[in-house]
Amino acid sequence: MGRWQKVVITASMVAFVALLALALSAGGLGFTLPAGRVRDVARWYLFTTFNPDLELFSAMAPEGVTSIVWDYRGLDTLFETAVFFLAIIGSVAIMRDIKTGGGSKPKGSTGLSPIVKTVTRITVGIILAVAASIALHGHLTPGGGFQGGATAAVAPLLILVIFSRYYIERLGVSKNAMLAIRSLGLVGIAVTAFIVLAVTSLQGGVAYVFQNQPKPYAPAGMPYEVGGSLTGGTLLLFNIFEMFAVSAGFTIIFLLLAIPESEVLGVLRGGEDGH
Amino acid sequence: MAININSYLFTVLTLAIFMNLAISLYGIFARPSLIKKIIALTILADTANTLAIMVGYRGWPSPSQPVKPPVLTVLKPSREVIKEFASTSVDPLPQALVLTAIVIGLAVTLFLVFLTLQIYRLYGTTDVRKVAKLRG
Repeated sequence: MGRWQKVVITASMVAFVALLALALSAGGLGFTLPAGRVRDVARWYLFTTFNPDLELFSAMAPEGVTSIVWDYRGLDTLFETAVFFLAIIGSVAIMRDIKTGGGSKPKGSTGLSPIVKTVTRITVGIILAVAASIALHGHLTPGGGFQGGATAAVAPLLILVIFSRYYIERLGVSKNAMLAIRSLGLVGIAVTAFIVLAVTSLQGGVAYVFQNQPKPYAPAGMPYEVGGSLTGGTLLLFNIFEMFAVSAGFTIIFLLLAIPESEVLGVLRGGEDGH
Repeated sequence: MAININSYLFTVLTLAIFMNLAISLYGIFARPSLIKKIIALTILADTANTLAIMVGYRGWPSPSQPVKPPVLTVLKPSREVIKEFASTSVDPLPQALVLTAIVIGLAVTLFLVFLTLQIYRLYGTTDVRKVAKLRG
């Protein structure tokens, strides 16, 4: 494809969008700006996300998005976490025979220049602090376990690229340690899903799976306020465990992607020679 | 026939999203390289997420002004505050779905990257036409 051909194709696509928009906004298909009102279900979510007058229907967390993610539609999020889990496990299974150890201590200095290393030493702490802040305030401000975990996973990635694989293994960030942390996070999510049900059943009451606040016919619930600060009930626990699961999962992938080509090819060729 | 500039710009945005969907679908179907297919797939996912966010948009008080996020900023809200919040804030449901879709999309993309990497290591190519002809 020639250069002018590409220019013509791009320009005609832009012109198509601009002209069709002109026709539509002139009333071609009755297309208008978004209305000033939202759907009734959205109004209900917004009305009950933190409503002390309607405690039997409220999630008692002022952040609408996290309330939906872990309370109103908590089961959906559990299954989405399962999809995440399967994607990570699939990647680990593809790389199953390849050793992830950092190997022997490299000779001489490795990694990037001392300037980059010093800056990284400072910023890694800041990144982890921001990630913890995002996850721990997920029930109050925009943020939560997914975002905090994705932010925290940047720190090991930086160390991996700027220092070396040997260094990050010496810090204790190995594949098996990350698998353990991620499994602990998933177990924590499962326990939190059943915690109200378990405690209430021991006391002879009734409760739902994934229950957060008291509901009709199920009067038990997690306290949404501890010492005057809002906790969102189970939302805070879900966010913390999800942060560990997500950040450890991504760290496993980064560790596997950092394995040098020569080591992998050695394992693959060795398998084929054996036949 | 009067054309409102806000309405025109919003329509351009909507159409650009659909154009983006078309281009990324072309990339997924027509490009032979697996890496380019993955790049097109991420563009498709991001475009779909943007479309979902736009579905939850609320033009309040007027469509050209910044919207209100679905976060209550009052610690002990009164009935009036909650009522005003529910009648002015944007739809939180698409945001909640997009939030999880982004992280899972990243995990699935990484899985596809691993598959492609393994195909490259085994066959020495990421061209699907050549991979299809190889006999294991």
